[in-house]
Amino acid sequence: MNATQATLPVPAIGRQPRQARRAIAGKVAALLVFGCLSTGASAFERPADGVYADRVDWGIMMDMSGPTAASQVPWTNGFQDYMRKVNEAGGIHGRKVNLLVEDDRYDAARDRINYEKLASQTPVIAISGVGNSSAQVALMSTIKAGKVPIVGTYATAKAGVEPANPMFYGGFCGFKEMAQVGVGFFTERLKLKAPRIATVHLDVASGAEYFGYVQNAIAGTGGTAKSIPIKVTAADANAQVREIDAMKPDFVTHHGTINTALLLMRAMQQNGLKIPTFAITYLGTPGVYAALNAETGSNYYFVSCFTPGAIEEPGTKEMAAAAAKNGRGALKDDINYVAGWVIGQLAAEALTRVGPEPTREKLVNMLNKGFEVDTKGLSSPIKYTPDNHLGLSVLRPYSYDYQTKTYKAYGNYSDYQKYLK
Amino acid sequence: MLAQVLFSGLALGSIYGLVALGFAVIFKATDVFNFAQGMLVVCGAYLAVTGITLLNLPFALAMVFLVVAAAALGVVIQMALIQPLAGRPMLSIIMVTLALSIVLRALIEIVYGPSGRPLVTPLPTGVLVIGDVRISILHLIAAVVSWGCMAGFGLFFRFTSTGLLMRATANSHEAALVSGINVNRMNCLAWAIGSVLAAIGGLFLGQLQLASTSLESIGLLALPAVVIGGMQSIPGAVIGGLLVGLTEQLAASYISPKAADIMIYAPLLLILMVRPWGLFGQRELGRV
Repeated sequence: MNATQATLPVPAIGRQPRQARRAIAGKVAALLVFGCLSTGASAFERPADGVYADRVDWGIMMDMSGPTAASQVPWTNGFQDYMRKVNEAGGIHGRKVNLLVEDDRYDAARDRINYEKLASQTPVIAISGVGNSSAQVALMSTIKAGKVPIVGTYATAKAGVEPANPMFYGGFCGFKEMAQVGVGFFTERLKLKAPRIATVHLDVASGAEYFGYVQNAIAGTGGTAKSIPIKVTAADANAQVREIDAMKPDFVTHHGTINTALLLMRAMQQNGLKIPTFAITYLGTPGVYAALNAETGSNYYFVSCFTPGAIEEPGTKEMAAAAAKNGRGALKDDINYVAGWVIGQLAAEALTRVGPEPTREKLVNMLNKGFEVDTKGLSSPIKYTPDNHLGLSVLRPYSYDYQTKTYKAYGNYSDYQKYLK
Repeated sequence: MLAQVLFSGLALGSIYGLVALGFAVIFKATDVFNFAQGMLVVCGAYLAVTGITLLNLPFALAMVFLVVAAAALGVVIQMALIQPLAGRPMLSIIMVTLALSIVLRALIEIVYGPSGRPLVTPLPTGVLVIGDVRISILHLIAAVVSWGCMAGFGLFFRFTSTGLLMRATANSHEAALVSGINVNRMNCLAWAIGSVLAAIGGLFLGQLQLASTSLESIGLLALPAVVIGGMQSIPGAVIGGLLVGLTEQLAASYISPKAADIMIYAPLLLILMVRPWGLFGQRELGRV
């Protein structure tokens, strides 16, 4: 007997006319049927999978207070705002989505602890984020052998998606695709046959990996690519710009942080170099453009699989409204916030499609068979197939118009499919 | 190319020298090895953002705000954290400065958010071309202001009565106390000066990049500067800063960016082993 049935008023049947008694009996029967149906939907519980009668727990592992918090906190905010919208609309199959956010401070050791916590101590149905690719690599054997899937990552380690792994689903554009689309776009735009590319990259593993992708992107064209490393903690990029000046490249590509991007662009300005430069997705934030003057900023592009909120698409209006409502209006143009919102949509869609009795196993089976989400123009389509769990693979270039103070997108995502190898 | 590298190194080294000078003033006056100096640089950048962007103050007024707020911060740190630990082992005080650094970072992230803030000032950002050398006007201003501050504080210590009292306190707390000098006031003044110098460094570093907590690691380059120059030496800190800036640029330009770390920290190790009092410091002799 549930609470609804127990609190029903007891009618004084003996003093009612027959018609009224019938009507009351009908209402009681209807309430009983409704009560049974509603308890049938929400009674399902699987605490070991983070599923309860009234809520489902979903985990997030991100850097909330460490060195990459500047980009990972907006991502988390985007995810939270999407789920807030879902919960305000009644949740999914009668359950609210409860986010358990674990801060890893960009420390792989903490990620290990956080993963175990979300897998068994405060279990969740799935985990998103995991913004430390080194942690992904370190945890990969545990993730593969474990029961909780990673759905929608902020960074995607090669080890996670090559080959496709049923427990791991990417959620951000890959470095390979960033290099291919950026190089393809500028090669075509500048009408080059054998492009000369200066690659200024962080002197870390992913930087060297990115340079390798740039080299692969021009393989067979006769073009050349030069590796120019820069430190994460650089205070100046003049040494790098002197190398660029000596090389005389057709264009520059940058893998780095927001600070290194600013240093690079300012040092190019100081040295009188007006060379088009494209940066990786993470560096497409309004802060970079705001800190550069219009002359320098107009040479700065970035490639992204996500659409900034200022660009009119069906999904951007809803996102911008939610961001403003939650006091985060300024974040709508932050690619990281958009990415978090999109992955929130992915999570909500997955929970909807897995049905009223969700479990980790059902979620994995459903995603692994093939899954696609239309993000209403907020990104290229998220698509998982049994062989490909990258999720987002198509990007497009963006720049910033200082007069209108909005981002400018170059074509549609589908226009750049041709550059992906 | 060499001239260009030398200019870049001197410009950057001037900012390091400024921060290192602040570090040396605090160390000389209070014997505190301040690991929070890098975070004071970050505070300076955010104070500038507060004055210029959030409060919309005219630039000159925003600079007054920066100096006053940074000085107040230094005084509060001295009175609330350092003064109560007087007489305690140096390790305890070092731990306090480390904790202070962590607390300041967390406070900044809570108040301003984790994302960096662009720091846009009316200072010119163009380029001067002299022969083959292209000089960033902003770097030039940073260098000139740094040298102005260093000269100003040098004159202050040398020719003012307060400077004399500070030097006396720095030489011997006990002797200063016996002579009737208010040592606590002198220590507060040293912290105020150290914080203001770090904040001015933060103003320029924040404008060259973004105002963000990652400026701390750049601010901490003052540590090798001050160790190389001599922790007790005011001119040593300035010259140490210039040496670090020049070494960084020369190594990054002619060897590799990674080599810059080796070229900065290898001499530091060597100096600590061979001449621990630094290039311009004075060897301390003790009676046993």
